[in-house]
Amino acid sequence: MRDRKNTTVEIAILGVLGAFALLCLAAPQLLRDREPRQLLSVSVLLRDTDSSGWTVARQGMEQAADELGAELRFLTLASYSDSGEQNELLLREIDGGAEGLVVVPADAGALRDALLQRDGACPVVALESAVEGCAGVVAPDNALLGRRLAQALLEDWDGGGVLLLEPAPGCAGVVQRLEAAQAALEEAGVPARRAPELPRGGLDGKWVLAFDPSSTQQAAEWKAAEQRAFALYGVGSSTAITAHLEQGTIAAIAAWSDYAAGYLAVRQVVESTRGAEEELAPLAFSILRKEDIYAPENQKLLFPIMSSSGR
Amino acid sequence: MTMFRRFAAQWAERYRKMSIQMVLSLSFTAVAAVGILLMGVSLIWRYSSASEQLVAENSQRVLAQANLNLDSYLKRMMRIADTAYYRVIKNSDLAEDSLTSQLSLLYEANRDDLVSLAVFDSRGGLVSSVPLSLMKQDADPARSDWFQAASGNMENLHFSTPHVQNIFGDPDYPYRWVVSLSHHVQLTRDGATEGGVLLVDMSFNGIEQVCRDVSLANGGYLYLIDKGGELIYHPRQQLIYAGLLEENNRTAAGYRDGSHVEVFQGQSRQVTIKTVGYTGWKLVGVAPAARWLTSSPSLFLFGLALLLFAIFLMAFLNFLISARIADPIRRLEQSIKALEGGREDVVIEEGGCYEVQHLSRSVRSMVSTMRHLMDDIIQQEAQKRRSELEVLQSQINPHFLYNTLDSVIWMTESGQQEEAIQMVTSLARLFRISLSRGKSVIPLSDELEHARHYMNIQKIRFKNRFTIQIGAGPGTEGLYTLKLVVQPLLENAIYHGMASAEDDGRIRVAAYVEGEDLVIDVEDNGLGMRPDVAASLLDEDRPEVRGSGSGIGVRNVHQRIRLTFGEGYGLAIFSEPDEGTLVRIRLPALTREEAGRRQQGEVL
Repeated sequence: MRDRKNTTVEIAILGVLGAFALLCLAAPQLLRDREPRQLLSVSVLLRDTDSSGWTVARQGMEQAADELGAELRFLTLASYSDSGEQNELLLREIDGGAEGLVVVPADAGALRDALLQRDGACPVVALESAVEGCAGVVAPDNALLGRRLAQALLEDWDGGGVLLLEPAPGCAGVVQRLEAAQAALEEAGVPARRAPELPRGGLDGKWVLAFDPSSTQQAAEWKAAEQRAFALYGVGSSTAITAHLEQGTIAAIAAWSDYAAGYLAVRQVVESTRGAEEELAPLAFSILRKEDIYAPENQKLLFPIMSSSGR
Repeated sequence: MTMFRRFAAQWAERYRKMSIQMVLSLSFTAVAAVGILLMGVSLIWRYSSASEQLVAENSQRVLAQANLNLDSYLKRMMRIADTAYYRVIKNSDLAEDSLTSQLSLLYEANRDDLVSLAVFDSRGGLVSSVPLSLMKQDADPARSDWFQAASGNMENLHFSTPHVQNIFGDPDYPYRWVVSLSHHVQLTRDGATEGGVLLVDMSFNGIEQVCRDVSLANGGYLYLIDKGGELIYHPRQQLIYAGLLEENNRTAAGYRDGSHVEVFQGQSRQVTIKTVGYTGWKLVGVAPAARWLTSSPSLFLFGLALLLFAIFLMAFLNFLISARIADPIRRLEQSIKALEGGREDVVIEEGGCYEVQHLSRSVRSMVSTMRHLMDDIIQQEAQKRRSELEVLQSQINPHFLYNTLDSVIWMTESGQQEEAIQMVTSLARLFRISLSRGKSVIPLSDELEHARHYMNIQKIRFKNRFTIQIGAGPGTEGLYTLKLVVQPLLENAIYHGMASAEDDGRIRVAAYVEGEDLVIDVEDNGLGMRPDVAASLLDEDRPEVRGSGSGIGVRNVHQRIRLTFGEGYGLAIFSEPDEGTLVRIRLPALTREEAGRRQQGEVL
């Protein structure tokens, strides 16, 4: 009886040891056989007709894609801020097997409706404007940005009306900035009116507020070309906008790191795909004037180091 | 502590219940496993140390190479600065010559590395610059760090941290990141010398190219900082600038050259520092310390498999060896158990190693000795019993013989020859029956005959003061009895019952069969005794009182019968004062064959 028990115990010990040894020997093979992680296919839908204004953001996106194992496809529209075309593109990408989408909404409402058609097909992260049903939005606090930009104007204001350049009506984030700025101006007793674009004939006042990089750059270029004397306050940190700021064409800008925005957008969409997304905080932004450009911290913000390796 | 004691007690209890094979195999295996694991841990530790050393050496080698490349790059920049100064500026009088053409040549020869070359006077006024010659309206070189560093320390060349070049206007707005090399120079104007500053703006890409493709072991990376820890190059520089990543560059600025281990954001990592000449910049190599193990899990698993296989082999060998050691001991134990169980045909094997063989031999010898001793004890017991019987039988009081012979002499002298002859004849018959050729069991008839002759002698001696009646009942014919059991009782009856009798003494001996027993009653009508005294006569602890009888006491007869036939047999005494005494002898009713077998058994 005792002999049988001894034998059983010994065989059990040998069995366990042998099994573990074999498992450890086989484990590397099993690990090796596992398929390498596939690159995640992420499409980036802009609302511009080209991606030149998104160069820095694109760098950030590519950095995130490189780190997190994603492959990016950048898609632009044939006409600026055409929400119908953008929605078509979005649905086509989803149907084409895109595993994640980063969208700069041309029209947040239309985009929401389009997403409802492919409910939960893949995570979508919005840049600039919040869209209902998205996995996240990467944007500064638009209302705060609008107020701060209005405050920058108010610091210089010495009378006269303010023209608020209206963006395309579907750009909810930009509209938020505008409305907050308008509220702040009206609160300060400054007359403000909205206009879809700069009046070619002439301005009533000498103060102009633009709320997205595209309209800011266009307004600055028009002002420089037409040698107008109005004070322009805008949004963006592209080289052209910075140059206009340095030359005095633009009085102040609200700037944030496009690199960070691009990086966070792709990171969020990749993590959403893998079920590990985090709550995104609003992007930090600064109000910069000409004299602030070359402060060390602002140099880092306005002039991203473009790697010679192409990254 | 209590838990430990309980645990120890549990193990002690288990240990007591374990077989020797299990104890040996488990102990050997545990010791071997601990040894192998210690060896494994030691190897891992050694491997880890060697890996760390290797990583450190690799980092130092890579950093040395990067330092060499950076040094070479900076020297090239310094040579450009020296050339600009000693070949162009020193040889030119600003009142007569323009520096621009010669600086342009120098710039064109090194345009891949340079953004601009410029010379400023001591107030920051532009003297000459290439490729751009127009300063920005708001530019104020004299307030720039590079200008102040060069003006403050005239002997040395000064390298700035990366910054955006902001002196010269460019219609294309190419804001370029540069590292500025500035040097105090002596300008000649109309033969007079004045101070100035030479500015060589190196393209940041040049430094980036030196550092970019450098990779360290285990996914490590390299970055470059200035004396204060400000980043000059980092592979994820823009992420750091955007606030999405942190680097421990400020702490690294405090490290000396060599390898250090630091914990940053919960991760242990090996940091190797190499200071770059001329600039005081530091190349920092970072290799995550935790990666050496996680980066090669296959190697770790293979090592673990080897350890487990070694333990498996050791356990297998231990089980075999312990079985080989324990098997002979177990067989010996089984043999001893069989012996304990009373089996006599147990064979004790001599197997196993020397000690076990010796033990087996000893046990076998011991068993053999025990068997011999037991045989001896049986023989000795038999011998002892026979001796005791013989001793008891031989305890015939010499007085009886002396008195009898004296009576014979007296009767012969007094002419009572018939009585003398009868007495001598009875004495002779008495002794003949007493001897009975050494037999202890004799026919009942002989025993009664013996009693009769004894009483004949005593009647003569006591002048017929009592009568004797000896009889045997039916069924007693051919039965056997132990020798000399009646005569001592008669002697006792005479000396204690009849001594004070006149002529009315009466002694009766009656033998009869009762069930399976032969009973012989010896009864007298003498003085008798109290029942308690009668009962005490057979008490073995009572001191023997030797009287004037034959010397074979009642107790001796009782002992002889019980020694021979067992506890169920012996004497019983019934007595009352002045009534007389009855002594009842109870024996097994032995036939001739049974008596013969018993006689043989005694001899054996």
